[in-house]
Order: sequence, then C-alpha cells, then structure tokens
Amino acid sequence: MYRKFYVSMSLISGLIFLAFMLLTGFRELSPEWKKYQNEYKELLIKNAKDEATKKKAKSLDVKIQQIYLSSLKRIDRCTSCHIGVENPLMANAEIVYKQHSGDYLKDHPLDKFGCTICHNGQGRATNLKEAHGAGRDTHWDYPIMPLKYVQSSCAQCHEFEMLKQNRGEIVAAGEKLFREKGCKGCHKLNGIGGILGKALGGIGSQPIAYFPMKYVKDEQTPYSWHKQHFDDPRNIVPESEMKIDIKDKESDLLTTYTLTLRSDEIPQQYRRIWQSPRSREAAMDGEALYKMYCIACHTSGKYSIYDDIFKRTIPAIMNPAFLKSIDDKFLKKIIEEGRSETQMTAWKADAAGLSDEKINKILQYITRDRPAEKSEPFILSRFNQNIKNGEKLYEVRCQMCHGPKGEGGEKILGISLVNPVVQKEADPEFLAITVRDGRQGTPMVAFGSKGLGLENQDIVNIVAYVRTLSSKK
Amino acid sequence: MKQVQGFIKKYKGIIPVFFLMLLSAGLMATLQKTENAYGLDTKIDSGKKIYEERCLICHGAEGDGKGLVGVIRRSEKSGRIMEIYPRDFVKAVFKFRTTSTGCMPTDEDLLRTIENGISRSFMPSTKEILSAAEREAVKEFIKTLSEWWEEEEPCEPIKVKKLEWVGSFSSVEKGKQLYEKMKCWECHGHEGKGDGPKAEDLKDDQGHKVLPFDFTTGALKRGSSPENVYITFTTGLDGTAMPSYEDTLEEEDRWHLVSYTLKLMQLKGRDE
Repeated sequence: MYRKFYVSMSLISGLIFLAFMLLTGFRELSPEWKKYQNEYKELLIKNAKDEATKKKAKSLDVKIQQIYLSSLKRIDRCTSCHIGVENPLMANAEIVYKQHSGDYLKDHPLDKFGCTICHNGQGRATNLKEAHGAGRDTHWDYPIMPLKYVQSSCAQCHEFEMLKQNRGEIVAAGEKLFREKGCKGCHKLNGIGGILGKALGGIGSQPIAYFPMKYVKDEQTPYSWHKQHFDDPRNIVPESEMKIDIKDKESDLLTTYTLTLRSDEIPQQYRRIWQSPRSREAAMDGEALYKMYCIACHTSGKYSIYDDIFKRTIPAIMNPAFLKSIDDKFLKKIIEEGRSETQMTAWKADAAGLSDEKINKILQYITRDRPAEKSEPFILSRFNQNIKNGEKLYEVRCQMCHGPKGEGGEKILGISLVNPVVQKEADPEFLAITVRDGRQGTPMVAFGSKGLGLENQDIVNIVAYVRTLSSKK
Repeated sequence: MKQVQGFIKKYKGIIPVFFLMLLSAGLMATLQKTENAYGLDTKIDSGKKIYEERCLICHGAEGDGKGLVGVIRRSEKSGRIMEIYPRDFVKAVFKFRTTSTGCMPTDEDLLRTIENGISRSFMPSTKEILSAAEREAVKEFIKTLSEWWEEEEPCEPIKVKKLEWVGSFSSVEKGKQLYEKMKCWECHGHEGKGDGPKAEDLKDDQGHKVLPFDFTTGALKRGSSPENVYITFTTGLDGTAMPSYEDTLEEEDRWHLVSYTLKLMQLKGRDE
C-alpha cells in the first residue's frame, strides 16, 4: 500500500521537475532581445525601398550584440535590444529601435564608448529588468539614468565652459547653480569646503545602498533621492539642517550636477579636461567666492535673519553699520577661526581649506561698501565700570532679545553674547560702540544718544556686565 | 460770623498750610494704595514707565508699532522669509482675541499676550520678568494709546468647549472636505504648506506682505491646542487676510476643520 503512494509521489515530482526544465529551456531559447531583433528585422524589410536593402535586411543575423571596451573595463550588450541606435532610418521609430537622439554618437562612436559610460545600467544584462536595474528587487548598484540627468556624464570628460556652448547646457547650468548657491559653505569638495554637511566627493557614483530610501517616493534610485532631497531635504532626511533656496526646475539641474561628482576617473585618452577644479577656483574673484562659500547662510548680507533651521540669528555681515565699527583684522579672524558653538565654520587653510589669498578676496568683497567715516570712538578708559548697575540695565534692556544669560540660540532673536568671540576676541570698545550706535537695518537698535538715549556711563556698565556673562552658566 | 471773620483774619498765614497738609494727606493715601515696584503714584504711570523701558523699543513711543527695531526677519525651514512687524496699538486692531471679528479684545486677551509673549514673533514672555500687577499696569497704559478703547463697547468673549470627537478619523475626513470646499487651500495650499495660489499676494491692513501659515511647521503663534485653533477660525485674525468663520461655518464644522488642521500640523510635511 505504501509502495503505491511513493511511486505516485515520485512520478508527480518528476513531472513537475520536467515541466520546469522545459520552461527554462524555452525561456533560454526565446529571450527578450530576440523578440526585439526579429521585430526590428521585419521593420527594416517592410520599410526597404529597393531590393538591395531588402536583401541586406533579410540577411541580418539575429544574435546577441556586444560592445567590448577594454580600456573602460565594460561590456555593453544594450544594442541587443536597442539595435537601431545607429540607424538613421529609425529616427522616428519606437523607443526600443529608435535612433539615438541628437548627434552625440557622431563624435562618440559606439565601438569606442559603448552605452553605460553615459547612461549607467548593467551593460552585461540581456533583459530589460536587469539591464535597467531600476525595480526595487533588482539590487544593482547603478540603475539606468533618467534621460533628464544624462548630461551629468558629459562632465566626466568635458569642461563646463565647453559644455555650456555645446550640447551640455543642463549640466553647465547645474554647475553654475552649485557655484552660486553656496553649497560649499557646508559641503567639502576637492579638499575645500564647510563641515556642516557631508563631503560630496564621489557622491555621484555612490551605489543605491549609500542612500537612505525610506521616504523616497516612486522609483528608489539615487537619482530620485537627489531630486526629492533637493526639493525638500527634510522630506527625505527628517533631521537634515540643509538650507536650500531653489525653484521648480532647479532641483533637476542640481541633481544633474551632483551626479557628475564621481570617484572613478575616466582613462586619460577619453578626457578633454585641461583645468583642474582647484585651479579654476583659484581664478575666482571675491564675489564668486562669496557665492560659493557664504551665500547659503548670509544671503545678501544686508539683513540679519533668524533662521528656523539653525535656531539662531544669522548676522548681517555686509550691513554698513557693522562694517563701520569692525576692522579688517577682527573680521578676518572670525572668518579664519569661525565662531565656535555656532554654524560659522573656521575657514583657514588647515580647517575648511580656504587659502589666505581667497579669504582676503572674500574679505575685500564683504567690506566693499564700508562707509568712509569711522565710528566715533568711545574711549572706555574715561569711565568707571559698575557691573551691578550693568546687570540691572541688562535685565530691562537686553535680555528680551539676548536671553537672561546672554545665551542666544533657539527662539532668541539676539546673537549669543557668551560666545568666545564676543567674550574674548571682541574689543570692549567695539562692543560699547555697538551698543551705543546699534546696527542700523537689524533689530539691534542704537541705545545711545542717537536712539533710546542711554547715557554713555550706562553703556559702559552694560558692556562690563556682558563681559562677565561667560563665567555664569 | 464776625467771630469767624476775625479768626480767619488772625490766622491768615496758616490757611494755605492747612490746605496743603490736607492735600498731601490725600496724596499719601492714594500713593499707599497703588504703590508698586516702580514706586509710581498711579497704575497708568507705572504702566507707562514699564512700557517705555521694555516695549517702546519695538512698539514705538506713540504705540504705533514704529519702534526703532522696525521689521524682524525670520527664515522658516522651507526657506521663505517672514517679515514681522510689531502691533500698532493706535490702530488697535488685534489678532489674538476671544471676541468676534471687529470687536476689541478683552482685558484677559491682552494680558494673556503680555504674559506669554508670542515666541514665533519674538514678542518676549514676561512671566518671570513682571508681576501680575505690573502686567495689569502695562495693559492699562496700552489702552490709553488708542481712542478706540473708549468708543467701543466691549464684546462678550466667545465660549470654547471642545467637542468629544475632535481628532477622530471621520472628523479629520470631514475637515478635509471643508478645507477644500471653503477654499482654505487658496492661501494655505493643498498640503497646508502655506503655498496656495493666492499666498504671494496677501497684504495686511498696514500694507505689509503677509504669508499664510504653514501648518507643517507645527506651531501656531497663539499656541497649537485644539481650542486655540478653534478660536482662530472663529474670531479670524483681524488686520490680516485670515477671515472669521463664525457666521459662515457651523460650530461643528469649525471643529471638523480643527481636526484636519491639527492632522496637518502633526504630519510635518510627510504622509505616513
């Protein structure tokens, strides 16, 4: 009785196994590319105008197409399906057989460049899902790049100056935005840049696994990640402190530029870049450098703005009242050393990496509108200090903006007064002038005779008290 | 009579002294009654002194909101910049009331703002700085800055009683429909980000540009409790583009809207 059961069981499982074997064999015999090539062949025959071309089309061998690129270390089989890319007759055909758009292939012949060097994707794969590598379950590092970002690949070999003129407008526009939105104020690239954000070297060739995809909508590729992250950083990385001020299409441009930042270098014989990014930057003027490193936070520098992301006020560094009272030496020191405890980075060469020459250029740009006449000196030494009285005045006049302990920070409009730069670096004379004359154009009003009318003696007392704040915690 | 006349004649020099004594006694009495930390004789005078030391810097000597500080700029997470102007006590149009639109606020309304401040606008809280009596004095002084306080009869404050189902799923859904139907999105945007099609063109009574509230920032100026949201819908924010819905929506519908906007505020810009 048991015997009969075992026999039938092995028979059934044998049959199932056979069915799978046959199915596998059948699938191997009729791959996706074969279907496309056959259709392409029919299309050619149908559209042939004379006997010769028809004959030629009929003799087309249906087989896997492969481009072997030894120096790029790539094997691209994309043309197995996209077989019409070089055929001008296919200019208006369906996407699979369509001729490559533009005249990019004229100076980038397929047998020298292949496809994936520009488009990404898996060159060796022979079906759509694996080759494009886009779906959630494919797990390829580099899925195919959406066409709107594909110009990012041009910058591997070409300079932006040339691309701007010649078929690379999108990526060149992206690079301009990158330069002018102050991205390097927070992000290091080529050894120079701020430290608040992630370093960007090689970000364009990071595999999928590098990016946290939890909140990315639609296709979860690095391309979607970049695009959606530019649209609203906190939608993708909730704790992000990234400041970004761009409109509509600009996120696509910046995505395109970001994807140019790849770590793998193209072999020398392909490259048409003569100028290194560093030497390009060395030629920049003060304004260009300000835009590159400062503008994301300081914007026009005319207004001080409380920032909800940084949770503090970003001071107006190009305000005439500020420039009038501060000398170059102190200003340069702040740029070089930064303001510890705040987001202001130390920019000197062995920190964020700006050379002395560049800092001087930026300094010159910031101070270009400095008023000719200097602030009237205060001459603190003429007064005696009364810290007790200063404390009383501080409580009434200062704490509502600077906080009870001068601590600044979240929900507090005034800057922190316990910051080491204010406490140790700033000249008391400078502080007294600031209290007396205020910073016109910012909420810091003049407390002296030109404003609220405090006596100079009161101001001396306030400054004396403020300078004791660091010892109170 | 003659005797009296004689008496006056005799002590002529003393009479003014007598009156002076009487006067000063009276003065002393009032002084003792209202004496406070600032040591001034009347409530309004001490209110004035506090105002001049602490409020004038923003709200101006005349109370017209044109103090030395002027405009304060605040950049929200989305990057848009709010320009914040101090309240004009002369025009005396107040946003944070518990009274119907067009009415003056109650004394409690003023005191509440003086006490708690408006942290999103950098109006400081005076909780730990001033005593209740001092706040009262400031309030009384502020009421001398505009004649509206004499001309207008005070209105009854609106009673707020949160309904049980506020925040429930079905209420959120109804609120969402109302949000679309009442065209809240025209200013506040379909996702509540304050980016509706009309958002860019809004002005307040003083002609300053105002930006509609971005619910995803999660914090209403007057506080984000359901009651605060409800009272905002009911009273409107006078002087701004935010109207009152006291007459155009039933009480229940206003509470449905509360449910939905509270949901928007919790979302923080993401749908999960």
